[in-house]
Amino acid sequence: MAEKAERSVVEVEVPLDFTYNYRVGQYLERYIKGLGEKKILGVRCSGCSKVTVPPRNFCGACNRVMDEWVEVGPEGTVENYTIGHVKVERGAVEKLDEPRLLAMVKLEGATVPLLAEVKGMAASELENGLRVKAVFKDPVSDSLADLSHFEPVGQEVK
Amino acid sequence: MRNVAIIGVGYTPVFVSKRKDVNIVEMISESVGAALNNTGLTPDDIQAVTYGNMQTFEGVNLPHLWTSDHMRALNKPTIRISTGGTTGMSTLQAAYYYVASGMYDLVMAVTWEKQSEGDSQVGLSGIVVPEAMTMVQHGMDLFSGKGMGFGGGGSTGAASYQAMSYLHHSGASPEHIDKMAALERSNAALNPYAHLRKKTTVEDVQATPMVAFPLRFGHTCPTSDGATTAIVASEEMVNKLTDGNVAWIVGLGSATSDPCTANFLEGQITDPAEQMPAKIASEKAYKMAGIEDPGRELDMCEMYNGFAHQSLMWLEKLGVCKEGEAHKMLDAGALNIEGEMPTNASGGVFSTNAIGASAMNRPTECALQIMRKIEGGHQIPKKIKKALSHGWGGMFQYVTVMVLADEPVSS
Repeated sequence: MAEKAERSVVEVEVPLDFTYNYRVGQYLERYIKGLGEKKILGVRCSGCSKVTVPPRNFCGACNRVMDEWVEVGPEGTVENYTIGHVKVERGAVEKLDEPRLLAMVKLEGATVPLLAEVKGMAASELENGLRVKAVFKDPVSDSLADLSHFEPVGQEVK
Repeated sequence: MRNVAIIGVGYTPVFVSKRKDVNIVEMISESVGAALNNTGLTPDDIQAVTYGNMQTFEGVNLPHLWTSDHMRALNKPTIRISTGGTTGMSTLQAAYYYVASGMYDLVMAVTWEKQSEGDSQVGLSGIVVPEAMTMVQHGMDLFSGKGMGFGGGGSTGAASYQAMSYLHHSGASPEHIDKMAALERSNAALNPYAHLRKKTTVEDVQATPMVAFPLRFGHTCPTSDGATTAIVASEEMVNKLTDGNVAWIVGLGSATSDPCTANFLEGQITDPAEQMPAKIASEKAYKMAGIEDPGRELDMCEMYNGFAHQSLMWLEKLGVCKEGEAHKMLDAGALNIEGEMPTNASGGVFSTNAIGASAMNRPTECALQIMRKIEGGHQIPKKIKKALSHGWGGMFQYVTVMVLADEPVSS
């Protein structure tokens, strides 16, 4: 059955500005500055010794501020992954030309894996246990984008 | 605490992708009217109202106050609850608290979503974006402008890591996800209040495009318009106003883990399928309900499953079966409507997702199954004495649980 023709009966311009100015906070700021030096920083909890990356101020499990900064990576191991076949552009789902590889990478010295894109390999070769290495932008620009992606280091750990 | 029961439920006549014939408050009014009709109560009987929907999804910032007349709440206390996907059950839990505490005897919980009038992606962005770190953890594509969303396809991308982890730990195969999807969609075909009502085969599911491995389009939930209202009552009011055919809320629990839009990578959690809040919340609810062996004592389950692997995963996380057993129960037919542990006889969130109402429709489905008032063809044939309902939401890390029963827990 054909749908009834629709028409808009009123269009109102309202003075709403949906530009928000969120602060990243002290910990992510320091993390970003670390990326600008091609370093990946995490924080260790003095209670449970877990190393959280990206760093967070507070350990909920131990109810304490985490303040021991440590450098982790740049190499790590793929712990989990997905292969993206679509992208979402302004709510619309579109098929990607090439599948994109997204992995949880457990960096050396870290407890929590970092979500990141993996490049330089076929989707069929991506698997848990794969060793990967961080690739930074050159030149860096003190932004989250400085950590570009991960690439395989050519050896697998079973 | 006092005993509390669900004495009636009211749904909108349909749950569909676009209710163009009504506005938001008219749609809510349909559900409230149905709940009053089904209980024979009048608006004057209701002492307080709890109200739930997603923040930002429709861009209405005080929707509960806009709705006050349409939901028969004039001159009554009204409070809005918003806990993400769990909103519906949180709203019902709030109504429970009112009555259990002795504050009120008859309280109405009203939940809804009208996703066609807003933009879910805008609402979801408002959850994720303020915490830039969350985006880093999600592997969101902040940089290339290609808008990968949550790591490969909106919420589906986020859930795909969880599905991978579930498959890895359980020994289930992607075909089990297809099979669960087909079962639930076929159940939904029997449910007049379900959105996607099409008898579906495993082959139908497998023919849908891959979104983010291992999740296909046929593994994902729709966005729906619809509303659900439940009326809860004290034992005194149950005895005074009803024939005793009610569903008692005998156990409830809820728990959160670190706030990051995931529970697959948050704070210090390393496994997307760990879902510790599910264990914590369900253990609390079982203890309250006097349940020692959930797999044996429960008669049915209603899981919150935005994605098809989740029904199986939750059965394990909520202690209904051991890890690695849910897909074997599926293979054995135990999860069918006629099976030993019917799971999502309604079709689940996976088939109907008016988000604010989604975690409400789990306990209301259980209540109507217990009361044997199911409309359509999905009434579970065996007698339901104890039923488990579950909600999953928040920033992917909040879990609610409610156990319903045909009689109150003796005190």
